[in-house]
Amino acid sequence: MRRVDFDLQVRGAVYRHFADHARAPSLRELSQVTGVSPSDVKAAYERLYARRMLVLMPDGETIRMAPPFSGIPTQHVVRAEGREYFANCAWDAFGIPAALHTEGEVISRCEQTHAPLRLRLGATGPPPSSWRFHVVVPASQWWADIVFT
Amino acid sequence: MLFFRDEEQVGAWCAENRFPRRPLVTLDQLWSLSVAWYSTRLTPDARRPGPEEIRSIFAGIGLEGPFWDPQADAF
Repeated sequence: MRRVDFDLQVRGAVYRHFADHARAPSLRELSQVTGVSPSDVKAAYERLYARRMLVLMPDGETIRMAPPFSGIPTQHVVRAEGREYFANCAWDAFGIPAALHTEGEVISRCEQTHAPLRLRLGATGPPPSSWRFHVVVPASQWWADIVFT
Repeated sequence: MLFFRDEEQVGAWCAENRFPRRPLVTLDQLWSLSVAWYSTRLTPDARRPGPEEIRSIFAGIGLEGPFWDPQADAF
């Protein structure tokens, strides 16, 4: 198998695991699913990070982000398909129901007042609302620090 | 990338934290953006959109100008 095809296989397995389990897979779980060694999976992670497809923790083997899914708890929670997912940001909170092609409930907050946000996203999107989405960092700089945008 | 209860809270948060106030996005726009960006993310040939595609996606929901340009060096 070509390396690029293997990397895409790994990426697909990562996303399938997030969708099915609402959490990041461990290196050992991905090794079992793909049938290759953990070190080969880790090398694929690094190449996928270089292509902006995954974001890793400093250990190089724990997945921090497979957008829109977050591998760590955040303030943006999405309930869908009977599971509770963490999203990386407000955009990704909407992105999870979009990626799963399902309805969902977004649970987050106003960053200024900390007022709770509970929003049902239907097949046609959100209900009418005064809530707004705001991005501080220009699009050209998002990947300079993808954790803070 | 954060939620705010209304436009007034965006202004208050930017002022308190000394961040510039950027173009605001409605939740309808955010949903359209999310569908365009993520609806194929779980498919085998999914990929991150390139710069031209990103500009087209943003422009399609009314997000235009240097701030939304993935390759702009001034905004």
